Amino acid sequence: MKPERESVTLTPSEELAHLRLLHLADSALPIGSLAHSFGLETLVSAELLQVGDLPEFLQGYLREAGMLEAVACRAAFRLVGAENREFDAARWVEINDCLSALKPARESRAASATLGRNFLQATLGLCDIPVLRGARGASFEFGSLIHQCTAFGLVSGALGLEETRAVLAYLHQISACLVSACQRLMPLGQTEATRILWNLKPAIVEVAADSASLTLETVSCTMPLLDWGAMEHPGLATRLFIS
Amino acid sequence: MAATAKHALQEIAHDISGSRRAHALLQLTFSLDSTSGRTFLADSYQDAPLKVVRAFTLEDGTALAHLHNVSGGLLGGDRLAMQVNLTSGAKAQLTTTGATRIYRSCEGASATTQCNEASIAEDALLEYLPDATIPFAGARYLQRTSINLAARAGLFWWEILAPGREARGELFEYEEFATRISVSALGRRIAAENLCLRPRQENVSSLARLGPYPYAATFYICRLGLEAGVWRGAEDQLRELTAAMTRRGEILWGVSSLVAHGLIVRCLARNGREVLPGLQAIWRSAKRHLYDREAIPPRKVN
Repeated sequence: MKPERESVTLTPSEELAHLRLLHLADSALPIGSLAHSFGLETLVSAELLQVGDLPEFLQGYLREAGMLEAVACRAAFRLVGAENREFDAARWVEINDCLSALKPARESRAASATLGRNFLQATLGLCDIPVLRGARGASFEFGSLIHQCTAFGLVSGALGLEETRAVLAYLHQISACLVSACQRLMPLGQTEATRILWNLKPAIVEVAADSASLTLETVSCTMPLLDWGAMEHPGLATRLFIS
Repeated sequence: MAATAKHALQEIAHDISGSRRAHALLQLTFSLDSTSGRTFLADSYQDAPLKVVRAFTLEDGTALAHLHNVSGGLLGGDRLAMQVNLTSGAKAQLTTTGATRIYRSCEGASATTQCNEASIAEDALLEYLPDATIPFAGARYLQRTSINLAARAGLFWWEILAPGREARGELFEYEEFATRISVSALGRRIAAENLCLRPRQENVSSLARLGPYPYAATFYICRLGLEAGVWRGAEDQLRELTAAMTRRGEILWGVSSLVAHGLIVRCLARNGREVLPGLQAIWRSAKRHLYDREAIPPRKVN
């Protein structure tokens, strides 16, 4: 017998919305987000990135990749965030295709798509929302990937969460996962890792705020060195991470 | 004329901030002479300072054209557009006669803008092989490139960015360098890049951006009509080459499959000397692998 699914109201109380957001943005959500380094492993292996570089590197990462993903997260959120609009499946596919094209490294693109698909699947296992099923079906029909940031934005919008809070939570989640990856790749202890993540919060707030006025046509992402790392990751002799 | 070029011309007409600034369109159409198997420059429209004198025929029938900027470089406020059309089966190679210099923009002047559009019809092949772009101190440059590939069309397109006039110690003294490129195959986007460097506002040498490598290059290699599995094989083959050319601390090469129909190669280097020869080596290897033909380097004075 199938477990009974929760009936979701699209106007949850603020407390319930907050709890749902904490749950979805938890790095312990079983979607596999801790299995990817998105090219960091190559930079560490090449002795380019060391513990002392992390605060500045992660701030730059947020300004570049974080900004792009925040903009895409908002774009997906707005597909369902506005009141009573019909879900635009073509636009959903277009946003994801655009993001796929903007991710040059095959492994990082595939990692983002795996996490996005897993995230959407996990959410559908918790609450059956027709628009999420529709989005998944449209992506499948058009052979389009579902990226993690767009899945997070779409789910947040469908659950009636607040847009900027969703973006903040997403950025915090990807930052926490990167710091966690660094702990496994470098001599980075728990205390220092926690401090690095703590000190990133103002940058997260800044990126989330700036992303509100950008679109996928106007946002930029300039990370050639990390792109190189992600491209060359398949060639590493030993690897801890999938990407 | 395609929509993007029209849009670019409208922008040019709208945004002329000084009458002395160039606002120009270069439009080239290459067609195949099916009798001789040679590609020829069938039509061209040229506004100064953009100029193509003539097209030369290479030994495999490809048309080679040199892109000139008779003003010697791009000036602040210039608004330039290039539209290249290859009709069915045509093969064209475009190169520059030297580095593209982007001069300082006057205070208050609008940025230098270049809009490129390439339309590559069925079975056609475009090889765009320019020298480096050098933004001088104070330069502001915005480039937008849109490439559309039809069935079985091919593309070799590289761009090299220098940090400035390195020989005189001028590194990252430009104001802004922003470039947007979009490559579409049969109407669907397969590659895109929105790059923006503002050295005076952010640390471009951060490991999150260029790191300790001031030179950067990107190379798109596409051919429609091949099975998807071909690209993983091509990626693996080119990775052997790029790994052999990589010298950590000096020059890095990376290669990856695009969403579909192609590969992207990235290069980061401490100096520019090895970038162009490296791109040429990758071009030769990829052309053999994808077309079973030799790449013919463009003849030029330098």
